[in-house]
Amino acid sequence: MKRGHGETWDPPPASRSGEGPSMADKKKVADDNNNNNNMDDELLAVLGYKVRSSEMAEVAQKLEQLEMVLSNDDVGSTVLNDTVHYNPSDLSTWVESMLSELNNPTSSDVDPTRSCVDRSEYDLRAIPGLSAFPKEEEVFDEEASSKRIRLGSWCESAGESTRSVVLVDSQETGVRLVHALVACAEAIQQENLNLADALVKRVGTLAASQAGAMGKVATYFAQALARRIYRDYTAETDVSGGSLEEVLQMHFYDSCPYLKFAHFTANQAILEAVTTARRVHVIDLGLNQGMQWPALMQALALRPGGPPSFRLTGIGPPQTENSDSLQQLGWKLAQFAQNMGVEFEFKGLAAESLSDLEPAMFETRPESETLVVNSVFELHRLLARSGSIEKLLNTVKAIKPSIITVVEQEANHNGIVFLDRFNEALHYYSSLFDSLEDSCSLPSQDRVMSEVYLGRQILNVVAAEGSDRVERHETVAQWRIRMKSAGFDPVHLGSSAFKQASMLLSLYATGDGYRVEENDGCLMIGWQTRPLITTSAWKLAGGGQSRR
Amino acid sequence: MSSEKRVGMVEKSNNKRQRVNQVPVFSINDHHDVLVEILRRLDGSSLCSAACVCRLWSAVARNDSIWEELCFRQVSPRPSLSLRSVVSALGGYRCLYFLCIRPVLARLPKLLWTRDQLQLSLSLYCVHYYERLYVGAWLGDAPPSSLIFLRKPVNVV
Repeated sequence: MKRGHGETWDPPPASRSGEGPSMADKKKVADDNNNNNNMDDELLAVLGYKVRSSEMAEVAQKLEQLEMVLSNDDVGSTVLNDTVHYNPSDLSTWVESMLSELNNPTSSDVDPTRSCVDRSEYDLRAIPGLSAFPKEEEVFDEEASSKRIRLGSWCESAGESTRSVVLVDSQETGVRLVHALVACAEAIQQENLNLADALVKRVGTLAASQAGAMGKVATYFAQALARRIYRDYTAETDVSGGSLEEVLQMHFYDSCPYLKFAHFTANQAILEAVTTARRVHVIDLGLNQGMQWPALMQALALRPGGPPSFRLTGIGPPQTENSDSLQQLGWKLAQFAQNMGVEFEFKGLAAESLSDLEPAMFETRPESETLVVNSVFELHRLLARSGSIEKLLNTVKAIKPSIITVVEQEANHNGIVFLDRFNEALHYYSSLFDSLEDSCSLPSQDRVMSEVYLGRQILNVVAAEGSDRVERHETVAQWRIRMKSAGFDPVHLGSSAFKQASMLLSLYATGDGYRVEENDGCLMIGWQTRPLITTSAWKLAGGGQSRR
Repeated sequence: MSSEKRVGMVEKSNNKRQRVNQVPVFSINDHHDVLVEILRRLDGSSLCSAACVCRLWSAVARNDSIWEELCFRQVSPRPSLSLRSVVSALGGYRCLYFLCIRPVLARLPKLLWTRDQLQLSLSLYCVHYYERLYVGAWLGDAPPSSLIFLRKPVNVV
């Protein structure tokens, strides 16, 4: 609990230690100095001292509410001095009486900002959690609950512990929110689900009071954590054949430049690879709504020397009986191609998983056409089942493409340890939501749908396990290793792609936030300092592949 | 200049009427091709003002070649003629100018464009066209607009 003035807190704990039934932990109460008495309250609650285990979470919550209220100096000191406590060893009734005395529960925390300066709520570098706190607090390493207790001692004004982090923003609630989230994840990591449950409710209340991107991210993460605690993750079977996902991705396409960046840079790499080809065959491993291809067709149409003939093989999820959305998409693209004056051929392949694909399905014509394979956010799904990615890469090698363009998220959400994944995902999606928030010219529909789209990914990263967890993002460094060992060499994206990408980003009103970086031949788009999406290009190793 | 001569009647002070050769009246409105040539040389805002003058001028200003000139004045080297069919298929130069070129010019104030800027504008235009006409299901009432980011942000305080 927060302490406004150290002296006002002494009477209640001292009396409690005198009156309550003797238990081992009371010795701790007696031994600790006054500054630590507030920590013992929480310790007692967690250890079940005079609190029924069924009430533990409730008492913890009420203690938290008290914490928030009493940190307001004016309220706390006067009320505390006036209240009379009977049998304060029974924590739940004591807490009830305290709460009923206080009649304006606010969550403003004046204390912590005095003793420490907050860091920006988006600068989460100090998390993974334990390193954010001074070493001496690890003496109280009881369970994950001690993490919360550190919150109390962290905010003490006496300056008894040295700060290892210098914080620079005043968004106190945001930082507390983040700490609560990480604490909850730690509790889950240590299989302490009761505590995790209490913490996740705390996160919920904190998140509801936090405006802006931080609150939204926290809400999605809290929901995902709750689903994980209750093991309530069901792989969402989209009866509409994946069209909800496609629609959400469309809104995401419109609202921010990430997908446009991905498509334009991949298209530029493809254009450079097929400059002299008379026939081009593109295999799109995830066709969605085919938004990438009109721009490519237009660029091919304006090629000096005339357009090549363009053949597209699009892969999509299995179709339901009534709809054949892949074929319809093919029709639309064909109409567009006709307007452009580009000869067009389309084939749709429905596959449950990309590893089901066989080279023969593509019906390639290696003697006449130049083959391109394109994958936008599709490869990481295969990491959920072992052997899938290798099979797909072997299939791709067998059809001998001239260039393979890969767009993936730049994050490691595939670590073995849940806590590491959680921290990484928190960073990543905070940046994404932050960038959405700043583009205030968006119609709210687009932004809301984009947030839902990202929220589904968050849910998958946090709550799912095993083959359900398909959002297994990996960094470009990891993909490089994987592709090299599978027999592919990198192709450097040219400066033209970089220029187009920079121009695209400078068109955005919030242009200062977005950044394009070149990383050893790959292009990355990021928000502020954090890279978020990477486009890379590959060809078959061996160098014997001649470009037609 | 028109070679028509108009003959008019004028009253003279001694109450006699005399035939006088009047100066032939020239009206630009009779010569649309000249009007087009003049409008082609205007910049964007002047052209828009000109299009508001009268119904005739508004109709003439819809001539796509005027807007083509406006779009590519900055581009060096000039794009090939095959671009014309592509852009016409996508909705014409006037729409291209208003949707893509003008906002892009406003944000990237360079006097001379390279192919990259043109290519970017065309790609955005393509996406816009495709999205409007061909994309199927949509959540919500508003139609899709991938170019919404090009509009100036509204200052909501």
